[in-house]
Amino acid sequence: MTPELPSGLDLTLDQLDRDGALREAAARLPRTRFLAAAAGAAAAFGVLASPARAAVSRGDVAILNYALSLEYLQAAFYTETERVGAITGKAARATRVVGAVERAHVDAFRKLLGVQAVKQPSFDFRGTTEDQLAFLKTAVAFEDLAVAAYKGQAHLIEADAVLAAAVAIHSVEARHAAWMRHLFGIRPAAQAFDEAKPKAEILKTVRSTRFVAARTRTKGGGAPRFTG
Amino acid sequence: MSVTAIVGFSAFSGGGGGEVVVPRDAPLAALPAPALVVNTPVPLRAERDLAHWAPVLRAVTARTAPAVDAPRVARLTTRTAEQTANLVLVLGRATDRRGHVWTRVRLPVLPNNTTGWVPRSALGGLAVVRTRLVVDLERLTANLFRRGKPVFSARIGVGTAQWPTPRGEFYIRSRLARYRSPFYGPIAFGTSARSEVLTDWPAGGYVGIHGTDRPDLLPGRVSHGCIRMRNEDILRLASLLPVGTPLSIR
Repeated sequence: MTPELPSGLDLTLDQLDRDGALREAAARLPRTRFLAAAAGAAAAFGVLASPARAAVSRGDVAILNYALSLEYLQAAFYTETERVGAITGKAARATRVVGAVERAHVDAFRKLLGVQAVKQPSFDFRGTTEDQLAFLKTAVAFEDLAVAAYKGQAHLIEADAVLAAAVAIHSVEARHAAWMRHLFGIRPAAQAFDEAKPKAEILKTVRSTRFVAARTRTKGGGAPRFTG
Repeated sequence: MSVTAIVGFSAFSGGGGGEVVVPRDAPLAALPAPALVVNTPVPLRAERDLAHWAPVLRAVTARTAPAVDAPRVARLTTRTAEQTANLVLVLGRATDRRGHVWTRVRLPVLPNNTTGWVPRSALGGLAVVRTRLVVDLERLTANLFRRGKPVFSARIGVGTAQWPTPRGEFYIRSRLARYRSPFYGPIAFGTSARSEVLTDWPAGGYVGIHGTDRPDLLPGRVSHGCIRMRNEDILRLASLLPVGTPLSIR
């Protein structure tokens, strides 16, 4: 049994990548592999606040931003679930633990990417953070998705340091996936061989959830019609 | 950095295949240091003044209970009179017998302090605020708290005895700027509170919080129900007050 993300939803890449940084970085992805090891390149990527910054190419920046986008989604999902407080029992405990980890992932990616980090979009989790069954179903889908997404980028990552980070996070996501699958009542390790998923397929799945929402228009320029 | 092999033979040397010999001093590739450092995960802390709000995504009927056949309380639209998103303050939730999630919300309707239940599907994403605005009609003050700590205070003007500012629990519903009306000052906040007297006022007599072109009247009981403050005070408040903030008028 494979849980499906909530259906009947429609999300656009524009919404996921609101400021265009993800697509902009992807468009700059070089055809040939290169490492920015030279001093000039180090200056170009000087915004990356890491000892490995000199070895992070534009292509890797795009991949890191892709990972950050997924981490935003997960961190916001678990954080909202915990704050709303509608989920109970072992699932609530898992939410607290996994949510803290996903927030730590977000912080780490943002610190590494610096000003090149994509901004966090607005989310509308459509009640899935407020209902036990919907929460578990979505959590399983998110974690399975993250595992497949990290794996799907492995062969594209240029710098060993970035690959090492991705692999370290990938296995954590796999543990989360197993935990959530167990809580949902399905086999934690369903298959002997996990397939990777390309970015296009992952984004299509995320779009189908419509969890990334337009920002609410709370500001206006019209004349007030208050009593005065 | 490289490390030296510590094994001198293949682990798979048995069983018919040829033995693969790794020289004792053959260098192995070093493990690369990860490009990022993930710090120790930090649990969420309990936060004072944490509240959620959500926009109304589709016109919907609010009901007295989380059920489609419960009595009707009010009809909610998606826009305010000023064409900003119509917001509701989220107070609670419940799941009905059919598994549908309902949300209990504070409503921008008369009588003031009305709450009701709407299907979760009619609302957009939950937004968080950590602020609370308290208006004291006796002391003529407005105090803003963030995470329980006072961050803003100002003397204000409120409604006259004829057009009193309503008391109760409300929320900040919109923020307006760039309009041409010195009467309202540079910035105005819409609230969910409504005058219980001026019900035929255009757009329904909503109470706003705004600046003024008559600072000489403040503090005092001078308005039609709105909460007025000096322009420098409303500008200071605007930098601190997010839309969706709960508002208590006492």
